[in-house]
Amino acid sequence: MTTTNQPDIPYEQARDELLDVVRKLESGGVPLADSMALWERGEKLATICQQWLDGAKQKVAQARGPVTQS
Amino acid sequence: MALESSPEAPQPLGRVVQAVKGWVERCNAIWVEAQIIEIKRRAGATQFLVFRDLRAETSATVSCSSRVLDAAGPLSEGTTVTALIRPTVWSKNSSLTFECSEVRPSGEGRLLAQLEQRKRLLQAEGLFDPRRKKPLPFLPRGIGLITGANSAAERDVLTNIHLRWPSAQVVVRNALVQGPNAAEDVMLAIAELDAQPHVEVIIIARGGGSLEDLLPFSDEGVVRAVARAAAPVISAIGHEPDSPILDLVADLRASTPTDAAKRVVPDVSEETERISSARQRIWQALSIRLNREQEWLNQTRSRPVLSEPTASFDAHGERIGELRRRLALAIDHRLTAETQSLTNDLNRVRSMSPKATLDRGYAILVDGANASVKSVHDVDGGEDLIAHLADGHLVLETREIHPRNPMEDTE
Repeated sequence: MTTTNQPDIPYEQARDELLDVVRKLESGGVPLADSMALWERGEKLATICQQWLDGAKQKVAQARGPVTQS
Repeated sequence: MALESSPEAPQPLGRVVQAVKGWVERCNAIWVEAQIIEIKRRAGATQFLVFRDLRAETSATVSCSSRVLDAAGPLSEGTTVTALIRPTVWSKNSSLTFECSEVRPSGEGRLLAQLEQRKRLLQAEGLFDPRRKKPLPFLPRGIGLITGANSAAERDVLTNIHLRWPSAQVVVRNALVQGPNAAEDVMLAIAELDAQPHVEVIIIARGGGSLEDLLPFSDEGVVRAVARAAAPVISAIGHEPDSPILDLVADLRASTPTDAAKRVVPDVSEETERISSARQRIWQALSIRLNREQEWLNQTRSRPVLSEPTASFDAHGERIGELRRRLALAIDHRLTAETQSLTNDLNRVRSMSPKATLDRGYAILVDGANASVKSVHDVDGGEDLIAHLADGHLVLETREIHPRNPMEDTE
């Protein structure tokens, strides 16, 4: 519980790249093979973002827990 | 002086006033002790003051030259003085005033003048400059306290500090707070406390007293010691009207020892409240931020390109299907066209075939060299010709030749 399992890239970077991927896919002008690669990358980035958010929520809950109890 | 007068033979007023003036001005100059209750500096050689008896209600108008007044040093209303005066009567309005030929502050007045002088000297050196004043630490690790032993001031300060911040550390250094040795002791106390690294602020406190009692706190040495001190110094001497020079050089002047205690530490319950509400706001801000990001992530993930990636593949699929259809259609058309063309050619070929001609009953004539005979001129008399019929051929001999056009000669 104490070991921080931090993703490789910072949250903002993952988020910005995810947005970029979505825009490219939605624009439609991407070759098929690239579309698949992009989608896979998008999924990975979304997972990283979620990891960050989950980690942050957990930290807040942990730090907050003892205070609200006292 | 004897001036005869009666209601029938009055004296002129002027003569009477002059007589009184002469009598009054026979008085010698005399040293008096008085308090200046009015002193108005004006341009010109003569200055006017109002003296009053120290205890009685009697007051007197005094005039003196600017030179005499200046020689007395700083004088202000309230200063006690001793002055050499002699009475004089102004002829014009017969008022009694005193001419002062010498004046000097005395007793408390002299003391006050001294202090005033010292104050001006130190001020000129810049010791009271507001920019020199150090800010107090918000929560000092150690608080130095200089008070008289077992004094009410000490109790007041300690009680109020611990009310506000129970765990405050106070280093008490009792000192003499009046008398001839007080100044030196206070100076020592300041140096001792200032030398301790964890003492971050020093309070000097004592209760009220007379001017003489509070003199040590106007001592030049004490004032300079405070100016030199590294830690900020709070002065809490006497009551509101008292103003020892310490008040001017201190980094903060408190009106009472209790006031000093309130200024030197924060109130623990107030601070706890503040921290608690600051915490709340942090959690709040964090929560909002996290929720916002989570919301964005959810929305982004639900966009079709991510949630249904095959949709874009379908687009490709459709395109392929479309092309396939067109391909099939194209092939069909081509085959149909080719077939048609072929059929047409076949029909044409077939229509050009001699077989049909023969079937219709015609014969094809050829000569011995198998060349077809198209004209009567191609044939010689008696030549053998072959006639092909539908079901075989005949060998014929030419017996007669008859051209259609008799003008042409065959032989």
